[in-house]
Amino acid sequence: MAEVHIKNVTKSFGDHVAVDGLDLHISDGEFVVLLGPTGAGKTTTLRLIAGLERPDSGTIRIGGHDATTLSPAERDTAFVFQQYSLYPHLSVFDNLAFPLRSPARKMPEDQIRRRVEDVARMVRIHHKLANRSTKLSGGEMQRVAIGRALVRKPAIYLMDEPLSSLDAKLRADLRLELKRIQSELGATMLYVTHDQIEAMTMADRIGILADGVLVQIGTPRTIYSEPANLHVAARLGQPAINLLPAGLLPDGGAPAGTKTIGARTEHLSIDKAANGHADGVVDWVEHLGDQNHLHVTVGSRKLVTLTDPDTDLEQGDKVVIRYRSPLYFGADGQRLM
Amino acid sequence: MLNRTAENVARATPEPLARKVRGISDKGLAWLFISPTILLLLAINIFPLFWAIYLSFTNYRANRPNEVVKNLGFANYQRILGDQDIWIAMQTTAHFVFWTILLQTLIGFTLAWLIDRKFRGHAFWTTLILVPMMLSPAVVGNFWRFLYEPQIGLFAYAISFVSGIPPTNIQMLSNVSLAPWSIIIVDTWMWTPYVMLICLAGLRSIPEYIYEAAEVDRASNWRQFWSITLPMALPFIMLAVLFRGIENFKMFDMVNLLTGGGPGSTTEVASITLKRQAFESWRTGYSSAFAIILFVAVFGLANIYVKALNKVKQR
Repeated sequence: MAEVHIKNVTKSFGDHVAVDGLDLHISDGEFVVLLGPTGAGKTTTLRLIAGLERPDSGTIRIGGHDATTLSPAERDTAFVFQQYSLYPHLSVFDNLAFPLRSPARKMPEDQIRRRVEDVARMVRIHHKLANRSTKLSGGEMQRVAIGRALVRKPAIYLMDEPLSSLDAKLRADLRLELKRIQSELGATMLYVTHDQIEAMTMADRIGILADGVLVQIGTPRTIYSEPANLHVAARLGQPAINLLPAGLLPDGGAPAGTKTIGARTEHLSIDKAANGHADGVVDWVEHLGDQNHLHVTVGSRKLVTLTDPDTDLEQGDKVVIRYRSPLYFGADGQRLM
Repeated sequence: MLNRTAENVARATPEPLARKVRGISDKGLAWLFISPTILLLLAINIFPLFWAIYLSFTNYRANRPNEVVKNLGFANYQRILGDQDIWIAMQTTAHFVFWTILLQTLIGFTLAWLIDRKFRGHAFWTTLILVPMMLSPAVVGNFWRFLYEPQIGLFAYAISFVSGIPPTNIQMLSNVSLAPWSIIIVDTWMWTPYVMLICLAGLRSIPEYIYEAAEVDRASNWRQFWSITLPMALPFIMLAVLFRGIENFKMFDMVNLLTGGGPGSTTEVASITLKRQAFESWRTGYSSAFAIILFVAVFGLANIYVKALNKVKQR
């Protein structure tokens, strides 16, 4: 395992700037998740580190060595692709053993067998070692693909939305497992996703990418509670953060220049109107079982927050709404302290 | 106006027929539509096949239609299987099939592999390589006869230019040991592009990310070729071999145009023997039996091969 330093890296495809002046430092043993929508430059960043793309400018250092111009084979990274990139004519065992059988390694066959079996157990695929890789389910294929990365002990594991093509249950299982494996191995990992739950649960640090620019990087807690701007604030939280114009609700204590107020569930107190004054009307109560989504109309705007499942609020109820230290954003979208 | 005409026609049509036409079921209509095709197929494919099977058990001669036709049972088949000349022709055919397939597959796959690198102008080269395949075999045959001319032919000239052997000594079509190769060369020249095209489809079907995965896994180009390119393109290569094998088993036009089976009978492949027996010796019953044997042989071999192909595909 090793640390990875990306300095001022830019990569364009034609006119499109995929990654724009990216600076990123991943420490040894750290789990960094890049979060962003499609086209934000997440995959390009991974491919740049793996050497599958060459940067237009900037440097990439892996384990202290300049790797900017090295070929993928010389870089010692392991890559899990979004598609199941298995070798279709090989068995599960041979797929897992493939990276170990590189002539550069000269690993004896009994050692390969031991290593493959260990990893197969780790990703829970050891009962299918003799199967053809094409005869597996989607979840099994992706576990083999992850296993094929894990058999090696590379400088860094690069994972490109490895769970996105799996169903929800399997995704939740593998998410936990990946995190467990990563901390067991003490592995350095850069993981790309557009799923905020994956990012929140697995990451030591989350990097938010937008249009090829790293907008903010920090611990999940920081990213969630101290977003740098509107874009970052909107990426995290379920239901999504309510972005309301200043002045819509009484907002005593808002710093000067506040244009937008960001309010998540924990930033709002909602009570039934008692003495005739009301800020909004309950529009809809969505029952999700363990919790409810409360839709409230305030003037021409709509708010969505969580409430307890045993809430006594009903459709048509008039409510009083107060902020509880919400997030303030200026006209440029940056958060105001 | 138009409506009234339609009404008049409808009124004029006798009731039972109208009901019958309208009353045809969908299935009946479907049969009605495909019946011309089926009749045509029966007339020019199925009937001749069964007629040939019938003739193969007789001593029928097409040039003497009035003679009494005798039923010989399996005598024709017995004679064919014991006939030395027939076995030599089969051997010649096998020889041709083997060498043409070997050369066409090797060259075709190599070309496909090179074209697949997507260098500048690869589309132009692909089109250029495909030209021979698009020509008519008759044209190709005649055109190579000229090229092979010892006195004026470009082929003999080129060989003598490189090797120093006088061109009059390079008798491609009349030299006993060169004639078979002259045909193998022409068939390879004409049909390698076809094999290349199928192989190219196979190579293009391999997703790029598998190569990227292999590259990150530190597989050398050599290893990528042996463990990804070749196994994944193998079903396509086998398909090309199947098509070329069946085609060349009945190779006729090229041999007929270039050497006519000669010199002597050195290039007399099975289909040439068949033609000589059927239309020069007029042994119709005998040659029918030979045709049936060839048909069964090709059909049987192709079937075994397709089984193997399916096994490869299922891996």
